[in-house]
Amino acid sequence: MEELDLLKKDWKKNENSFEQVSEVDIYKMLHKKSSSIVKWILIISILEVLLWTGISLVYNSDEYFIRTHSEYLIEYFKYLTIFNYAVVAVFIYMFYKNYRAISTITSTKQLMKDILKTRKTVKYYVWYNLGMMVVSMIIGFALVFTVDPKLHELTSKGNAMIFMIAFCTVCILVFVGLFWLFYRLIYGILLRKLFRNYNELKKIDL
Amino acid sequence: MSENLEQTFVQQLRENQNIIHKICRLYTSDGDAHKDLFQEITIQLWKAFPKFRGDAKFSTWAYRVALNTAITLYRKSTRSVSTVEYEKHSFFISQDEYNSEEEEQIKLMYQAVHQLNDIEKALVFMYLEDKDYTEIAETIGISEVNARVKMNRIKGKLKKILNP
Repeated sequence: MEELDLLKKDWKKNENSFEQVSEVDIYKMLHKKSSSIVKWILIISILEVLLWTGISLVYNSDEYFIRTHSEYLIEYFKYLTIFNYAVVAVFIYMFYKNYRAISTITSTKQLMKDILKTRKTVKYYVWYNLGMMVVSMIIGFALVFTVDPKLHELTSKGNAMIFMIAFCTVCILVFVGLFWLFYRLIYGILLRKLFRNYNELKKIDL
Repeated sequence: MSENLEQTFVQQLRENQNIIHKICRLYTSDGDAHKDLFQEITIQLWKAFPKFRGDAKFSTWAYRVALNTAITLYRKSTRSVSTVEYEKHSFFISQDEYNSEEEEQIKLMYQAVHQLNDIEKALVFMYLEDKDYTEIAETIGISEVNARVKMNRIKGKLKKILNP
């Protein structure tokens, strides 16, 4: 292609036409903060882990169990909490391993794969938490109705029971829906460019 | 020790900075964005520098890190450049020694290249830098045959942009 060769000629000719950056300025740049997507993924991931861990720390069910005279449940919840921490530890380890594997020296395609892999770990973590939350909400609602004497009385009146179940289901759905939307939004914005370019690369090797 | 490393790096980078400038020229559309991307690439090069082994050429190594930064790590979108923005980026074209027809053609070519997507720009960049297809394929992470096929398609695409 003749035009491309013409461009190459001009490209070579203007190779040294850039305003040169001094060593002093390069030194300054080295101490500036990066704003790469990898860094953003790291920050958001840490925030996510903190948020979910925070929620489980703040939410203390023991008091409620004591109030409703169902202390036997405290033991079960203790095991659940230990299991939960073990899962968090595994996720953090996997995330760290994947994050460390991200390197700018590999090929573009590999780099994209590594970033997506790191991101996926966090996604699974979020899904795990959402799942746990839904399960504990269902158990929680069920418990509240069987254990709490006031509510137990209410639900024994036929229609009220159906109404309450419907209400709980809607609550859970709205809650999960909002979270899902929130995540789509954050990562949609953050990873739009990456996905576009990754798909472009995949197309080439088809 | 680390100060020494920093000094070596800064010196190498200053000598090879045109590689980064050229990538910024392709992937950004105004002076501020050029500086911003230049800075991000510098930071990424510095981060990767401890892994740089002396047996490779600094420039070869820098190509890879710089392209990866522009295509993947850099958060701001580098696509869709309007003609107006392009015209403002005046340092693209030197005014000397060109007859007007050739000059016009080169200007149109630059505009056409700016309309390509990020991956296509990377291929064009390495083509303009006289890299062979083995290196192009390795850097991007596609097969050599497909790199050739893609380059031919890009040429076709450019032709279409120039003669719609």
